[in-house]
Parts: sequence; structure tokens; C-alpha cells
Amino acid sequence: MSGAPALRVTDLAVHYPARNGPPVRAVDGISFALEAHETLGLVGESGCGKSTVARAIVGLQTVTHGSVMVDGTEIVGAGRAALRAARAGMQMVFQDPVTSLNPRMTVGAAVGEPLLVRGLARGAALRERVALLLTECGLRPEDAARYPHQFSGGQRQRIVIARALALRPALLVCDEPVSALDVSVRAQILNLLVDLQRAHGMACLFVSHDLAVVRHVCDRVAVMYLGHLAELAPRDALFSAPRHPYTRALLAAVPEPDPVAQRAKPRVPLVGEIPSPARMPSGCRFHTRCPMAQPVCRETEPAWREVGASMVACHFPNE
Amino acid sequence: MTPALAVHDLRLLIGGAAVVDGVGFAVAPGEVMALVGESGCGKSLTAHAIMRLLPDAVRQDRGYVALDGDNLSVLSERQMRLVRGRRMSMIFQEPQAALDPLSTVGAQVAEGTGSPLRQARAAVLAMLDEVGIADPARRIDQYPFELSGGMCQRVMIASALIARPAVLIADEPTTALDVTIQAQILDLLRRLAIERGTAIVLITHDMGVVADIADRVAVMYAGRIAETGDTAAIFARPRHPYTALLLAALPRRTDVPRSRLAVIEGRVPAPSEFPTGCRFAGRCPLADARCRAETPLLREVARGHLSACWHAEAVR
Repeated sequence: MSGAPALRVTDLAVHYPARNGPPVRAVDGISFALEAHETLGLVGESGCGKSTVARAIVGLQTVTHGSVMVDGTEIVGAGRAALRAARAGMQMVFQDPVTSLNPRMTVGAAVGEPLLVRGLARGAALRERVALLLTECGLRPEDAARYPHQFSGGQRQRIVIARALALRPALLVCDEPVSALDVSVRAQILNLLVDLQRAHGMACLFVSHDLAVVRHVCDRVAVMYLGHLAELAPRDALFSAPRHPYTRALLAAVPEPDPVAQRAKPRVPLVGEIPSPARMPSGCRFHTRCPMAQPVCRETEPAWREVGASMVACHFPNE
Repeated sequence: MTPALAVHDLRLLIGGAAVVDGVGFAVAPGEVMALVGESGCGKSLTAHAIMRLLPDAVRQDRGYVALDGDNLSVLSERQMRLVRGRRMSMIFQEPQAALDPLSTVGAQVAEGTGSPLRQARAAVLAMLDEVGIADPARRIDQYPFELSGGMCQRVMIASALIARPAVLIADEPTTALDVTIQAQILDLLRRLAIERGTAIVLITHDMGVVADIADRVAVMYAGRIAETGDTAAIFARPRHPYTALLLAALPRRTDVPRSRLAVIEGRVPAPSEFPTGCRFAGRCPLADARCRAETPLLREVARGHLSACWHAEAVR
């Protein structure tokens, strides 16, 4: 569909009922859009709701309210047939490549399955497509006959990526795709993802807690805190001029692999812990840990507004 | 000065394979020494060997550990129990899993004092406060499930340090924590090393954590130390090709986004397939016939900087 962005999320909310008390607002009204060819990073600490957003987008999570449009098709509330059709255009890569692959299925069968079940290829043509996908992901065509346990973690993530690409999706949702991998293997998979996106131009939502990795692969970055977006900005703006105090704290907390730079960094440790989404703070949800919080922050939720090239939810953003 | 902890020529076997081979280092009081490497390099086994907490399948056939000059290998298991928690303590990656779910925070921290909580209560409260637990008077009677991961890690550190051990072995202490909490815990460990003079052995896979807190570092690969020296020197000019590649594989703030990251070809050999000669030779861009035939020993390539590479001078 022309004109529509690859992905448009509008006021998305996922609430879980609690046994006693108000529901847990895991994702609480977030909006963003993703153009074709673009990679958007979604970052935040555990429990901020970033993985729930990813699952809601691919239809694996019941949504409380809001809209998810993938390539112009509404996912929220879509029937089975519509969802099945839409899923051809979007694929997901998970953190753990071991549990993402059926141990009793050969690599060839796993990678070829999307093509087979949709009746797009079979027999020799299917084998040829699988060989091509494996080669493209840095594996050998012969690997099709082997089983997942015969591969290392990095190679298994290549298999998962090959399977995700089989239908040439317009949108790839990656949830911590390199977090389980060692440094040297992580570099290989990041190089592969960069190459594949250059070659195929799919839109990519890249969910990660690792800011260095996000900076490396993403065009824009959204920062989540307690179910809300704190800031959404082009990569360079976010990393060189973070506007939300939470973004600044997060960037300051990541240790740089450079002792000179790291030890010269001003230390602005965030005090306290992330509050429970079952007991959401009033006003700005970051105010309990914010070094700049004023009385208004405790009372009024900040509006989502434009500051320079960035969108930010803060009463006192860095301008 | 006698080092707080010295590990001499440690060799650990699983079956016939030396999964840790010739590992040795010393840590001074107040010093933070990092053992860094990827999965399976032997860093965590080394830590467990120091505590004499090796799994049954692992056999130590060479080397010894000296704590403040005392050789621990001559101690009986009963004597060793008096060393653990008193003169030398260990903290782990999963704080929730390492704490007893049926015992209160106070009771677990008091264990290290050898007295029941009734008598040790004041000391436990002071210790909880020292590791940065807000409202210790309330937390002391809570159970681990009532605490966040970061707070559980503080409790584990408190119980490890209440007896004022000279040495703390920290096995990936921040890997399971969020970055803002990680920064708090690293600040705490740094402060303890400085203020109490605790010698810390930090096991990690994260070069950022090493850069932040370690005074010295030993980079491990396939069970051996590839390179060791001052943190600043190793990051400024690595003298082992493995370290150089590992550092180049990290995306950095100063890189051009989407630029090619360095990769290390191939994979770590399985212990049963360790080659003769240098264990990194199969993946090393500098390897030649000598590397494949003769094991390079650690040698001093600059002051206090040791590399186990025949081509240390050629590493870029």
C-alpha cells in the first residue's frame, strides 16, 4: 500500500488485570510511526513495556485499546484471516535463538516453512529459495539438512533471521536480537542485520536495552519508561543532546569501553528503583527518580510535545 | 607487600581437557582485578576454584590459591568453611537465586557474623545502610521476594562483607541488572574497595564494566590468560590479537553508525578440540607455524603488561 507508513502505532495500551487493585498498565498510550527502510530503536529498562509493544505489534498480545497499522492494515481486533494475511508482511526475531527453533525440525524445514505453508514454493524451487536465504545469512546451503543443536548460538540466530526473511517482510520486529550473544558473535549478527536492511529496505523495530547497539543500527530512537514514551528523537539528536532527564541518566549510566572517557564522565546516578507499574506515580511517572523534579511534575502529567527535532514528555526538557 | 589474594598456575580439568590452564594473578588490598572473556573462557570456573566451590566434574590437578600468604590448598574442607564468608566471600549474578527465599534479609546478613540476628542486629543495620539500602529498619525483616533485583544484590553484598573479608569474588554481579542499577552497584563496589581496602576479583564479559571499575585486567580465552596488565594500558594498546579484535567488535559512541564492526572468524574451540600451541591460532590473523606448534607463555611486553602471544609486538 502506498503512502501509508510501514507501521503506525496510535495510543497503544496494554493493561493486565490485577487480582486486587487497579490494573497493571504495562503499556499506557504510546504513539509512533515507522517508514519503510527505517530502523527505530525502542529502549528502556526491564519492565518498561518495550517487549510488550513488540508483541502487540505482531499480534501476539491482546491490546486494551489503541491501533496498530502495519502497511495500512489494522492489526488490533483483526480476525484470524486478516491477521494471517498481515503477518506475511511482518516477522519477529526473538532474543533466544535456542527456544525460537524447533529442535526436531531441520534448518531447511524451519527456514522453508513460511514459504511452504503459504503455498509460495515447494519441491526443488523451495530448496533453492532456502539455499539462497541461508547463503544470504552467512550459512551454507548444506546446512539445510542439519538440526539446530548442531549450530552455535550466533549461527542459530542466523537461522532465525533467514526464516524471518523468507517472506520478504516489509516490517521486521527484533526483540533483543543480540542480547544473548557474546561480543564477537554479536558484531557478526549486527553486521548481518545492517547488510540485510541495506539490501531489502524493510522497516525495522529494534527493541533493546543496549544503547551502544541501538546507536549503531537505528535511525531514530524511542525511550520508554514505565509504559510511556519519554523521548523520541533522531539518533544523533538523542545521543548528543538528550532532552529528557531520563534519557540523560540512561546515557550516563552506560559504561563506555574506554577507561579514559568513562572515568572522566560526570556521575549522575539515578537514585532509587523503577516504581511498579501497578502503583504508577502521579503526574510525570519519572518524578520519583528525577533530579530536576518540581512540584508541577508530581501533579501534572507532561504533554508529548515537539522540542527541536525531538518529541519529549517533560515539563522541563533541555532546550 | 603480600598480595591479598594470589592464584598460582591453576589448572582445571574436565575429563581430559584443561578448561583452565596455567592461570595465575595477584590482587593487592583495595585493588579491583577484572577477569574478562566470552562464555566458556574459564573465568567463572577460576572464581569457583578460588573459593574451592568447584562442581564435582571439575578436577584441579595443579596450582594453588594463597589468601594473604596462606596456601588454601592445605586446608581441610572444615577449615575452608571458616575461610569462606569470613576472610573471602563471593557474590553471584542472580541475587534472587543466591539468597534463601525462606529467610529474612536480616537473618541472612547476620549469618556472616556468626551470631544470631538478635545479637547482631545493630551491625546488620549498619551494614545494610553502608551498602545503600534505604530504610534498613524496615528491610531487615523482609524476605527476598519483597525486594527488587538491585536491592537483593545489595543484600548479597552486605552478607558477603559483614565479616570484613579481605577478598571479594564478584561473579558477573551486575549482568542481571538494569544499567541505572548497575551504575549504582559498581559505584558501591568501587567505594568498598577504596574505603575498606577489600581486594575485589570481578568476573565479567562487559568491557564497559572493566573500563569503569577495574584497576587491572586479565583477558581470558579458551581457559588461558591471553593478556594482563593495567586497565588503561590494555585499552590504549592491546598486546594480544584477541583483545584487539574484541575491542574492535564493540559498537562505540564515536563510531560511524552502521559501519562494519570487526568480527573474529570462526568460533571458540570446544575443550575436547583445543589445539596444541596457541589456542587462538585458528582464528588469529597473525598466526603462523610457530603459533600452531608452540604454546606462547605470558611474557612482559611493557612494564606490568604481559601478553601470551608470539607476535605481541605486531598487534595493532
